[in-house]
Amino acid sequence: MSSNRIRILLAALLLIALATLPFWATRYMVSILLLICLYMTLASMWNLLAGYSGLISLGQQMFIGIGGYSLAVLSMYHGLPIFLSVFLGGVISVLLAVLISLPIFRMKGVYFAIGTWIIAEALGICFSNWGYVRYGMGLFIQPAYRLSMSTIYYAALVLCIGSIALIYLLLRSNLGLALMAIRDDDRASEAIGVNIFRCKFTCFLLSAFITGMTAGVLYLNTIFIQPFEAFGIGWTVKLLFIVIIGGLGTVAGPIVGAAVFVVLQQYLSEYVGFNLIIFGTITISVIFFTPKGIVGTFQEKLGFEIFPIRRR
Amino acid sequence: MSCILTIEKLSKSFGRVAAVHDLSFEVSQDEILGIIGPNGAGKTTLFNLIAGEIKPESGKIMFNGTDVTSAQTFRRCRMGIARTYQIPRPFVNMTVLENVLVGAVYGGGMGSKASRKKCEEVLEKTGLFSKRNAFAESLPLLDRKRLELTKALATGPTLLLIDEVAGGLTESEVEEVLKIIHSLRRDGITILWVEHIMMAMKRGPDRLLVMDFGEKLAYGNPDEVLDSEEVHKVYLGDDED
Repeated sequence: MSSNRIRILLAALLLIALATLPFWATRYMVSILLLICLYMTLASMWNLLAGYSGLISLGQQMFIGIGGYSLAVLSMYHGLPIFLSVFLGGVISVLLAVLISLPIFRMKGVYFAIGTWIIAEALGICFSNWGYVRYGMGLFIQPAYRLSMSTIYYAALVLCIGSIALIYLLLRSNLGLALMAIRDDDRASEAIGVNIFRCKFTCFLLSAFITGMTAGVLYLNTIFIQPFEAFGIGWTVKLLFIVIIGGLGTVAGPIVGAAVFVVLQQYLSEYVGFNLIIFGTITISVIFFTPKGIVGTFQEKLGFEIFPIRRR
Repeated sequence: MSCILTIEKLSKSFGRVAAVHDLSFEVSQDEILGIIGPNGAGKTTLFNLIAGEIKPESGKIMFNGTDVTSAQTFRRCRMGIARTYQIPRPFVNMTVLENVLVGAVYGGGMGSKASRKKCEEVLEKTGLFSKRNAFAESLPLLDRKRLELTKALATGPTLLLIDEVAGGLTESEVEEVLKIIHSLRRDGITILWVEHIMMAMKRGPDRLLVMDFGEKLAYGNPDEVLDSEEVHKVYLGDDED
């Protein structure tokens, strides 16, 4: 009971600190936390697929690209309000997810991974040959200039907290129960009534929706979008790094992983070329020595879960 | 007595081996049908076919008057067919209660309150209630077998396929299993029961089906079937395994 109270108190303090950040912190710090929030959300969505649904996607960048381009096209060409464009980016991502689900869900395991990757690559090529979005030259998302850093920060914060709350509730819901069962033994779960396809499909759509919206906010911050960067595999590699060092299949894993990643990225950005080697070394070391990641190992050693999802 | 399950000319082969061949039989409401046969006779394959985990090459499976031959596994479960596995398949990273909840919520289609109640009820019945918060990974074999049964019962089945639940148990444990199975029948569950233990097969089932090479060798009253000459020849005369 008291540990529960401490948990709530700490969470409340953290929330207040995050909510008031632009009023007392430096611009630099706000920009860092903005990035952490965005990466956390994206990584949580990858974790929902890989860590909970057994869907190893290497194609999250397709939703990042679609989300970003939706924002650019809708807000610039069609004059829609910025945040409506961000939201519609999520909706269009879901439509894309529905469209590709027919072929993609026929593939299992590594084939699914490669299938998603290829779709993202193909989209990158399509966009770079599409005059409407100025080919490979990319677009400057001009309406985003009007936004202040703190507005973008709040948008990212809402997405981040919203998505963590969503995942937490989802895991405690019946869907979460089924996902755990599928992860342990898919055949046995089907034999006691779980519709595996439906569970995975739901997570896939949810992940597409939030990834697409997050990408919109991300490009409000970046302002410039270009097809090979937006649809590049680099995104998923980053998410993979975050989730693996944080802890695959834990709610708090992507949170810790994203913080570590963004901070490292800041410090290592001086050493261009080296930083990839260092990221690679860290990932391999984590896989070797603490395969459950920072959060997974911590939870195992202390028997304490930051987000308990057990049913008693 | 009405007929709950009808198997019609069912065939399934793996490569050249006919695991189930042209098999037909009927199961009446509320009966316990025991299935015996030497190893490789096709008993587990038959269960996999009825549960929908594999599809037959030919033949028909009728459940409660509906043709379920091409229905997906989870749908059959929701219609009322539940099964246990010979080698238990618990969800090891979940607690016993969570394991059973999956069955109640999905197979039984129950809301959160009703499913809780159902789970507690079946956990009591199979004697796992005191271990409901233990992780399934930590359970010994007997409890894993109980959990198999509990999970299946939580789905609220009308037809229960039991695959060797008594194998490897002591005599008094087998007695306990017999007691549970008879109480299930009183609850209105029809049971198909594959077992090697003769003591259980003599006293449990109302009728016996003897399978050999995927075909029906004998069918009828347990005492008569077990005394028949051909059954002695292929099954009881056989060495262990």
